[in-house]
Amino acid sequence: MEAPPVTSMPVTGGAVNMMEYLLQGSVLDQALESLLHRLRGLCDNMDPETFTDHELVYLLKGQQGNPFILRARRSLSHPTSPWHLRYLGQPEVGDKSRHALVRNCVDVAASHSLPEFLNEMGFRMDHEFTANGHIFRKGVMKIVVSKLSRILVPGNTENTERLSLSYLVELSGLAPAGQDTVSEDMRSFAEQLKPLVHLEKIDPSKQRH
Amino acid sequence: MSGGPAVTVSIESTCEKQVQEVALDGTETYVPPLSMSQNLAKLAQRIDFSQGSDSEEDEVEGEPRDREWNKQETEEEEGTVKFQPSLWPWDSVRNNLRSALTEMCVLHDVLSVVKEKKYMALDPVSQDPAANKTPQVFQLISKKKLLGTAAQLLLKGAEKLSKSVAENQENRRQRDFNSELLRLRSQWKLRKVGDKILGDLSYRSAGSLFPHHGTFEVIKNTDIDLDKKTPEDYCPLDVQIPCDLEGSAYIKVSIQKQSPDIGDLGTVSLFRRLPKTKAGTQQWHVKLEAAQNVLLCKEIFAQLSREAVQIKSQIPHIVVKNQIISQPFPGLQLSISLCHSTGEKKNHRASPEKPKPDDHLYVLEHNLHQMMREFHKQQLSSVVMPHPASAPFGHKRMRLAGPMAYDKAEISNLQQNEGLLEKIIKQAKHIFLRSRTARTIDSLASRIEDPQIQAHWSNINDVYESSVKVLITSQGYEQICKSIQLQLNIGVEQIRVVHRDGRVMSQHQVHAVQQLAKVMGWQVLSFSNHVGLGPVESIGNASAVTVASPNGEYAISVRNGPESGCKVLVQFPRSQTKELPKSDVIQDPKWSHLRGPSKEVHWSKMEGRNFVYKMELLMAALTPCP
Repeated sequence: MEAPPVTSMPVTGGAVNMMEYLLQGSVLDQALESLLHRLRGLCDNMDPETFTDHELVYLLKGQQGNPFILRARRSLSHPTSPWHLRYLGQPEVGDKSRHALVRNCVDVAASHSLPEFLNEMGFRMDHEFTANGHIFRKGVMKIVVSKLSRILVPGNTENTERLSLSYLVELSGLAPAGQDTVSEDMRSFAEQLKPLVHLEKIDPSKQRH
Repeated sequence: MSGGPAVTVSIESTCEKQVQEVALDGTETYVPPLSMSQNLAKLAQRIDFSQGSDSEEDEVEGEPRDREWNKQETEEEEGTVKFQPSLWPWDSVRNNLRSALTEMCVLHDVLSVVKEKKYMALDPVSQDPAANKTPQVFQLISKKKLLGTAAQLLLKGAEKLSKSVAENQENRRQRDFNSELLRLRSQWKLRKVGDKILGDLSYRSAGSLFPHHGTFEVIKNTDIDLDKKTPEDYCPLDVQIPCDLEGSAYIKVSIQKQSPDIGDLGTVSLFRRLPKTKAGTQQWHVKLEAAQNVLLCKEIFAQLSREAVQIKSQIPHIVVKNQIISQPFPGLQLSISLCHSTGEKKNHRASPEKPKPDDHLYVLEHNLHQMMREFHKQQLSSVVMPHPASAPFGHKRMRLAGPMAYDKAEISNLQQNEGLLEKIIKQAKHIFLRSRTARTIDSLASRIEDPQIQAHWSNINDVYESSVKVLITSQGYEQICKSIQLQLNIGVEQIRVVHRDGRVMSQHQVHAVQQLAKVMGWQVLSFSNHVGLGPVESIGNASAVTVASPNGEYAISVRNGPESGCKVLVQFPRSQTKELPKSDVIQDPKWSHLRGPSKEVHWSKMEGRNFVYKMELLMAALTPCP
């Protein structure tokens, strides 16, 4: 559903399998202004868009080793927008030369009763945090510059504490499985941001401790 | 002596001439001073040549004094030069002269001896011929070397000068390239990839989804010869555009009567519209703008042809080569074609006569461009941005479709139904209808003279709707007879006519009479919009009015029908009739003032330029002056 109208993927039963391409980096607070300025120049010409989101991460512990993770996210700046439920699969390890992290991705819009529903289904909330920052767009790619804050009292989004003195920069693109053109665009875009921020693929499984 | 300019110093002796005699009248006679030779002779007489230089010690005693000198001068009158210690400053002169005399005497003696050739002989010295020439060659070689050194110095200097001049020019060109690059960068997106400078002339950053890369390359123009003069339009910067975007293009939209021959399709002439270049714009600017225009035209045409194929409509659209043909109305053909000329080769298949300029609907072409840009803008609207940030891009309302459980009807309502092609076809239909209406009204107005038809087109129109107000009045009586006003709303496929009162045109005349009667003071006796008497009309109904004069003596009856025309009858008072029916019952002469029989008026022979005027004259004629 995100593909531009020119291309059309042959749909084989069910929904199209979407893959998310991701590159991550970070900048210190002092460098935020220059980064925003540069992004403003490189990305599509739109008014700058800020966001404030609240994300809850739900785990379903099964008999097998790895728990099943679902991420539920809602917008605090647009309270009427629907919730967004996301499943991110394991990163594909096939192609070493691929510059971005590729993983299977399922996005679902949900109503405001999502947390209760997930609780009923058996998921338990692992942790939650708030993110606020800026969001940019270039063609199919999305660039999110966000500051993560920890929620001190569960359920209370007002009382937050910053996690670090830097901003997380994420460059992501959604494409149907099999199309690899997004990867090239992302790589060249990351090149253009080079001196300000280094975007690279960070394997989340290696970060787990 | 060193440095400063030579100063002429004049020395003058302060010779006070001795006065010899003073004449009785005061004139003084001076002793003539001694001439040089006389002076020298006098001094020479005092030199004693017999005394040698070894007797110089004796001179130390006493300094020469003028008195002593004068006194001793008298002693020397004999001619013998005695050595005088007072002549010491002249001693060196005396010695030199003496040695010169000695030398001369020796030379004289040697020469006299040699002359005898007995004891001494003179032999010439043999000249070495080589010795003479070697100095010359040596001179030549040395001169050559010197010249060579000098030449080398000069050459070195010249080399340095030329190098610096070349460097200056190079710097200037370099600076020009940089300033041009700066100017280019202020208008176009550039980025550096490796050692190449690439740019982007596509509309992708403005919201387009066309998959053309639109990359151009900036190259330095180095094929300039420094020796030749730089040409007027020389630019140190050159751009290389993708080969499929070269030349210029435009989209031609035209409406024609349906061509019976379907084999004609696809042969649209590509006559080239010369682009107007503003003075002062750079070559690269013109090139890039043209390439961008070509890209936009290609995108528009691609979108239109895609829609033409995908959208189902009653009469299918035909897409042939660079032309899209569709039928907005039966018998009418709308053709949209992409005319792209690369400019290098002339198109020999151009149609023999120049295509009619009014065939091309520029408004629709402009609208196509605008709609495409509108579409681009929509892609960039903030409605597309996701909140929460992790959600994918997409319209805000579509995201609600899932949670709100929209059904298919609601979703299709949300999505934009109309594509570019449909919109442009609707606009073309509207334009056609409007022009057809205008032509009809104009032809009617020129054909029908009596009630005048005026059309006021409103200036503010929509692409899909226009309106025109049609007024039917009689000339000279616009204020009284403005009953009929029609408003026509011309839509895409239909025209809606709104009457003010809902009446047919032939009733206008009758209404006019009614209004006129009010003005003239005549009394309306009867008025009927739809009379039931008389011949039946095919369209609408006839209308009639009867008005009576102010004094009641005359009455005018008018019956007007759309087809039967108008009939005017005048009723005279009984007293004016030729024949007076004799009756025993009616005795009183006052009854002769009643209106009696009526007579028809030959309306066509009446004087007056239109119906209402004639009616006015008639009424005036029947109103007797008091």
